Amino acid sequence: MSQSKWFLHPILIFISSIAAVALSLTLYIYWYVEVRTGLKSVLERANLDSDQVLTSHTWMVILVLSILVGIILMGIFIIFVYNQKTLQLYRLQRNFINNFTHELKTPVTSLKLYLETFRTYELPREDQLKYIGYMVQDADRLTHNINRILDLAKIESKTYEGKFVREDLVQELERFYEKYRRLFDGCEIHIHNPSGRSFLYRISPALFEILLMNLFTNAIKYNESEVPCLDITFKTKGRGLYIRFEDNGIGLPQSEFRKIFKKFYQIGRSEDMSAKGTGLGLHLVESIARIHKGKMTAESKGSGKGSVFSLILPLKKLRPEGKEESDE
Amino acid sequence: MSNPTKSQILVVEDETHLAEGLKLNLTLKGYDVMIAEDGISALEKWKEWQPDLIVLDIMLPGIDGLSVLRNIRLEDERIPILILSARGDPDDRVKGFSYGVDDYLAKPFNLNEFLLRIERLLTRGAWSQRGADSKGNSISSLPRIYQFGDNRIDFKTLKADGPSGEISLTEQEARLLRLFIANRGRPLSRRKLLEIGWGYARGTTTRTVDNFIVRLRKYFESNPKKPVYFKSLRSVGYVFNHDPE
Repeated sequence: MSQSKWFLHPILIFISSIAAVALSLTLYIYWYVEVRTGLKSVLERANLDSDQVLTSHTWMVILVLSILVGIILMGIFIIFVYNQKTLQLYRLQRNFINNFTHELKTPVTSLKLYLETFRTYELPREDQLKYIGYMVQDADRLTHNINRILDLAKIESKTYEGKFVREDLVQELERFYEKYRRLFDGCEIHIHNPSGRSFLYRISPALFEILLMNLFTNAIKYNESEVPCLDITFKTKGRGLYIRFEDNGIGLPQSEFRKIFKKFYQIGRSEDMSAKGTGLGLHLVESIARIHKGKMTAESKGSGKGSVFSLILPLKKLRPEGKEESDE
Repeated sequence: MSNPTKSQILVVEDETHLAEGLKLNLTLKGYDVMIAEDGISALEKWKEWQPDLIVLDIMLPGIDGLSVLRNIRLEDERIPILILSARGDPDDRVKGFSYGVDDYLAKPFNLNEFLLRIERLLTRGAWSQRGADSKGNSISSLPRIYQFGDNRIDFKTLKADGPSGEISLTEQEARLLRLFIANRGRPLSRRKLLEIGWGYARGTTTRTVDNFIVRLRKYFESNPKKPVYFKSLRSVGYVFNHDPE
């Protein structure tokens, strides 16, 4: 962290400029009143009708001045907030570059290591197959990381023109699980739909898959239980459909519930690199939820007690079965 | 126990694929290899197994690699350590070397280069091992006797003279003193003190550190209420102030 001079600190500049504006406002008013009374006495001495010369109203002047100063203050405040946000994003981005480099370099290093080993030694076929298996996994990991970056770029550029189709979310989820079952070997994953009804919703299947993939892998990646479990429940409450993803993973502290959806954000310390991953997964999830007019929440009973991620979709967008409409 | 003629190498790496690949290659070269997956087990294995060389990753769960390095260097200056890290910027390398690493290789690396560097480090390690008459003598580059003010510490006999007369130091006190002396004038946070001095990970109470500081002040400060050497830094930790010159 670069140690900039203390008097350039943004908070200090912010406070002093507010103080300066407030002070100038009081001085304006003070001088105005002063000059006015001075003028009045001059006029009185000259025996002129003061009402004729001083037609303007003191309170009007003060009011206009205050409004103008208020606008200036608001402007300063907005600039300050934006500046803070930019700084924060810059810090997060640097953190991201560090971590992402690690995420990319590790599989590459492993691949290179095994390739060079194969070039040097003639290993027994059995060993070869085992290490080739590792290499395939490393290549998968690399692809996964690259895809996440590309997904983000696609979503952020707003040029995402994926097809939106009306699907039953329960079926969609089951289809997803069937398709990628091999990725979640050794984990217990259950889908519950107690109401038994179907939930038709306009989704982009490609984006929805990214969302599910991130939630599924997070539940398993950040999990220290012997058998990672993920329970997915469909629930309606009020005017929303809640899809709860409940895992038995490492959980998260309450202070992180909202922060984890921020771009590049990671739980852990960046200075000694105990945080791992790209810090993009949940940000993608949240962006996709927003594209679908829904939102994400996170909750947990504390560290080590699992966590629950809920995707909340507005119910009015859900179409009851058989009632076909051709809007949107 | 392993064959005594084989060199023993401890590989500290949390990525299983990499760790196994390194182990495979080093074993094929005829070394005896053990893997540690995090900082805490690295320190345990280093103490129990007494390897001839350590290959160290920096990004580790629990205690990070640089703290592991500093922890080891407090007790053993001679064991060759090679850092193998995804971070290869000059700044990162300088940091590693300033904490006493012997060699630094950035990932992805060339396998042959890695193996040759290992071989070279082991050869040099063997020389310096032969140079030292016994293992006990090769503990640290710090002088055996350290003096500051009216205090005198003998790290060999673990005896010290302070304002309150002669004191027998415990191993842990001596360790902490070495850590402070090696970082003269540099602030040390409570967390770093725990990680490097004790080898504890996060979550351990930092009161332990404070209690030790109270003891060290009682030993070596003429007025423990107004410390001259072991100073507190608010919201940072502690700093050992002594300029030998």
